Amino acid sequence: MAKEPVAVTVDRVTRIYKNVKGRADVVAVNEASFVVSPGELVTLLGPSGCGKTTTLRMIAGFDLPTKGAIRIGGEDVSSLPPNKRDTATVFQSYGLFPHMNVAENVAYGLRIRKVSKAETEERVKRALALTGLSDLADRSPGRLSGGQQQRVALSRSLVVEPGVLLLDEPLSNLDALLREQMRVEIRRIQKSLGITAVYVTHDRVEAMSLSDRVIVMKDGRIRQVGSPSAIYEQPDSVFVAGFVGKVAFFPVDVQGVDDGSCACAIRGKTVRAGSHAPAVAVGKPAVLMARPESLRLGPPEQGVVDGTVRQNVYLGSSVESFVTTEYGELLVQIDDPAGKRVAAEGERVSVSFNEDRVRVLPAAAE
Amino acid sequence: MFTKDKLLRFLLVLAVFVVADAWIYSTIRTSLRADAASNRSASLGLLAKSAPENPDLREDWLMSVSETLPGGAAVYLVPAEDDPEVYERFATDEEALALWQSLESSEDAVKGLESAYYFENYASPVKATLSNTPVRLFYAPITDDSQGELLGIAVFMAPETADPGIERLLGIFAVGAFILFAALSGISRFSRDSTVGYAVLTLAGLGIVFIIFPLFEAFRLSFTDGARFSLATWAGALSGAHLKALWGSIRLGMWTATTSTIVGFLFAFVIYRTTARGKKFLSAIAQLPVISPPFSLTLSIILLAGNNGLITKQLLGLDNFSIYGLGGLVLVQTIGMFPIAYLTLAGVLQGLDATLEEAALDMNASRWQVFRSVTLPLAVPGILSAWLLVFTNSLADFANPLLLAGNYRVLSVEAYIQVTGRNDLGGGAALSLLLLLPTLTAFFIQRNWVSKRSYVTVTGKPNLKLVEIASPPVKAAMTVGVWLIVAFTLSLYGTIVAGCFVKNWGIDYSFTLANIGEALSRGKDAIRSTLTLAAVATPIAGIIAMASAMIFVRKSFVGKKALEAVMMMPFAVPGTLLGIAYILAFNKAPILIVGTGAIIVINYIVRELPVGIEGGVASLRQIDPSIEEAARDLGADEGMVFRSIVLPLVRPAFISSMSYTFVRSMTAVSAVIFLISARWYHMTVLIYNFSENIRFGLASVLATTLIIIVMSAFGLMRLLVRDTGAFDKTISR
Ligand SMILES: Nc1ncnc2c1ncn2[C@@H]1O[C@H](COP(=O)(O)OP(=O)(O)OP(=O)(O)O)[C@@H](O)[C@H]1O
Ligand SMILES: [Mg+2]
Repeated sequence: MAKEPVAVTVDRVTRIYKNVKGRADVVAVNEASFVVSPGELVTLLGPSGCGKTTTLRMIAGFDLPTKGAIRIGGEDVSSLPPNKRDTATVFQSYGLFPHMNVAENVAYGLRIRKVSKAETEERVKRALALTGLSDLADRSPGRLSGGQQQRVALSRSLVVEPGVLLLDEPLSNLDALLREQMRVEIRRIQKSLGITAVYVTHDRVEAMSLSDRVIVMKDGRIRQVGSPSAIYEQPDSVFVAGFVGKVAFFPVDVQGVDDGSCACAIRGKTVRAGSHAPAVAVGKPAVLMARPESLRLGPPEQGVVDGTVRQNVYLGSSVESFVTTEYGELLVQIDDPAGKRVAAEGERVSVSFNEDRVRVLPAAAE
Repeated sequence: MFTKDKLLRFLLVLAVFVVADAWIYSTIRTSLRADAASNRSASLGLLAKSAPENPDLREDWLMSVSETLPGGAAVYLVPAEDDPEVYERFATDEEALALWQSLESSEDAVKGLESAYYFENYASPVKATLSNTPVRLFYAPITDDSQGELLGIAVFMAPETADPGIERLLGIFAVGAFILFAALSGISRFSRDSTVGYAVLTLAGLGIVFIIFPLFEAFRLSFTDGARFSLATWAGALSGAHLKALWGSIRLGMWTATTSTIVGFLFAFVIYRTTARGKKFLSAIAQLPVISPPFSLTLSIILLAGNNGLITKQLLGLDNFSIYGLGGLVLVQTIGMFPIAYLTLAGVLQGLDATLEEAALDMNASRWQVFRSVTLPLAVPGILSAWLLVFTNSLADFANPLLLAGNYRVLSVEAYIQVTGRNDLGGGAALSLLLLLPTLTAFFIQRNWVSKRSYVTVTGKPNLKLVEIASPPVKAAMTVGVWLIVAFTLSLYGTIVAGCFVKNWGIDYSFTLANIGEALSRGKDAIRSTLTLAAVATPIAGIIAMASAMIFVRKSFVGKKALEAVMMMPFAVPGTLLGIAYILAFNKAPILIVGTGAIIVINYIVRELPVGIEGGVASLRQIDPSIEEAARDLGADEGMVFRSIVLPLVRPAFISSMSYTFVRSMTAVSAVIFLISARWYHMTVLIYNFSENIRFGLASVLATTLIIIVMSAFGLMRLLVRDTGAFDKTISR
């Protein structure tokens, strides 16, 4: 299944749902722009209702942009119907054809393309082997497990060698273990075929572990685009920081900003945070974010803020310590707890952070 | 997609088309007119030659001219003895004379007279108006037989165009061609997948041409007299006798609705709310009359209780008893229509959550109290709904009253008599429109009011435990009642079968097989044409119904609501009205199909579409739309999605809509009785004819044949639908 991978360009796309009967219009997607490079897997990540599905459906052609253009491999496809686009979608509910068996399902796209019988058989066989379904070719989809149905849907999309593979929360109907397996599998197949893919999910772990790049959306707008580590470690807003992982925020006064670091005052103490978001400036309200792994516990009054350990959750390789402070409850992650003293529940402690690993963000406008 | 650029180009193409269209139209019209004009010159010249020499006959001749030129007239001029420049005028039409006097000194008139004087015909280019009709003057010499001498000059005032009908037709075609072109090219330019556009267009065309247009024609005809607006038809329709028939229909409807609802409730209650035995059988019998052909129940009632009926005459020896009239009608209609009430109420009683009744029983209410205070009130919307549905059906019923009404008048039969007996199409249209009033009212109350008030509680977990709220004696009484009705219904069918083998019912009950041979040989053609028509209509109706369902459920477009309403309309329109409307609309150009099989097939399709569409819509709503999206995504266009995905998935609905259409077409009568021809006859009408001529044996054979065909069709459908059960479950999530 070798074919030159193509790029997908979403160019200032807006989708407004006109709501009749006096209700307000819904701006499902608002001026969204991004480019998916050939062979790349990009995830659209965001809370429910943020417009991920709408964006994906516009790329597939099930929905039309109110404004803006969509290009696949340089060609403007904005007004083409789905059957004329070089995309293949894996649906959340799979959308398997219940009146066909597994092999017929997979062969459907080839039948439409009038591929010869021999070639169809050959390609279906290969696609089923790729997803480990070879033994189930004659089964009816109604008699498959969720994970197997998911694989059928994936093979059915892959067998037509689409330029772009689109996946809308493909794993959300599976149990946790299977989800993890399938995640690895999808990534393996996508990489081995070198196919361009857009993946929609609201699960941050899924997004982080799968993607070359993550696009975080909220209320129809794109908030940030970047590699998983960039999104996690260098979010540009309180929303993104909070959405992609556990985090603690401390209000700060920004005192000075340079290329990398940022000086700011917290409770009268000046700290030099390792990085800052571009929008941070002196005089503007800002917060300092710290991930649980960059927080430390110490004796009272030696850290940034004092508090009481409310609860410790033992996770084996680490302990999560919930500390009640005047900034609310902070989560501190203590790695390798066996070799350390862990403050007992109810104990007074202070919380401090690793200055290199914290980041200053503009305070949430909302 | 819509862009300014595309719109401009589209408008340009339209403009070019308009110009071409208009040019063709005007060219054809001009040549038609020229043709008409030269024809007229010739005929008017000849007419002038027929003018009498004898002065006494002048008047007769002038009268005959007025008749040959409808709306026109002539003036006969005779040169004065003394001055050949002065003419004496003769005319029978005052206005023609006045018109001539106003024109005679005009330049054109002088020219005309001069031409005629020199034995030349002259067609004046000047337009004039004779009693509101545009006319042109035509001058022709009147000569003696040897043509040597000028006796006088005929001035004809002939209406402008010879045949306005053909010009109107031409206009319709020109405008129609433009609309069609604009729609087709608009769709292919602006829609992403034009198949849907074409499908919607086809459907809209079907609705406009075969539903709206005929109904409009019926409506129009009832308000016109000749070509003018007139209330005369309605004055006739609203006269005493007809109003009595309207009231007769309504009274019959109310009686039948009430008794049918009671019987239907009884059946539904016994089957779904008691632990009686034989429920499957009861339920099957309760649905039997729905598919039984028209006239069959009436026929068997007549055999049993008619003037020479087995029970009334032979067994009881009654002489004065008459089954004909309201009583008999209520009886047959109830047997025929209680299934409608039963099916509605079965749904309601099945859906009522028995825990409510249980709760009431827990509170120490007596069973009767529970029934009265819980079960009945909860079922009220269902009961009303059933009543209204039966009411509508009874009003639209045509077959039963046709045979059994006697002196009792109902509107549907009255309309039929008006058309076939008195040859008064307008009156028939008005009467059947009158029928629309109560039917539509009932229909809309049922649709928009009652059905929204249903208390059916959908708990997802049906309460399988039955609460017996009928005390043993009550239950026993109800069960006996139900079985008595079943026995009676079965005996009616038995009578029809028996009728096949009896020599001469009422007189000579000896066994014979002669009826079968005679009926089948005389009915051979009718059976063949009935089967052919139904077989042609069935797949077309099925496919249109499923395609419409797909369009209505999955697509959005401007005017969808309106289109849905139009397609659903025939459901509420009595067959009599649709039949009359069809002969009115389609016995003339541009769509002349009266007398063909096509008109009957189209009528079947249009009438049975609503039920098919509803079935398809319900079925499609159960199917996850991403199945179709997946197919589209894999490269299938709309047609392919429909064929390879939708049709197989809605197969149960597809098959049942087809079998429904087939059965209904086989048993049609109210509309089809107006549309049949010698070539395309219908079995039901033949049954009626045999019954009217007291050939009950023959009628019984045909009715039995029809029942057998219909039952087989139903059996076949059951078989076909059953084996799809395997994937039914996987379709809906
Ligand atoms: N057909 C529609 N008509 C009107 N509003 C719609 C329609 N489809 C989506 N919306 C609205 O557009 C917004 C974005 O919807 P979308 O389905 O893209 O969200 P999502 O990010 O995929 O959410 P989820 O994670 O819940 O699937 C929502 O507010 C939704 O209510
Ligand atoms: Mg979604």
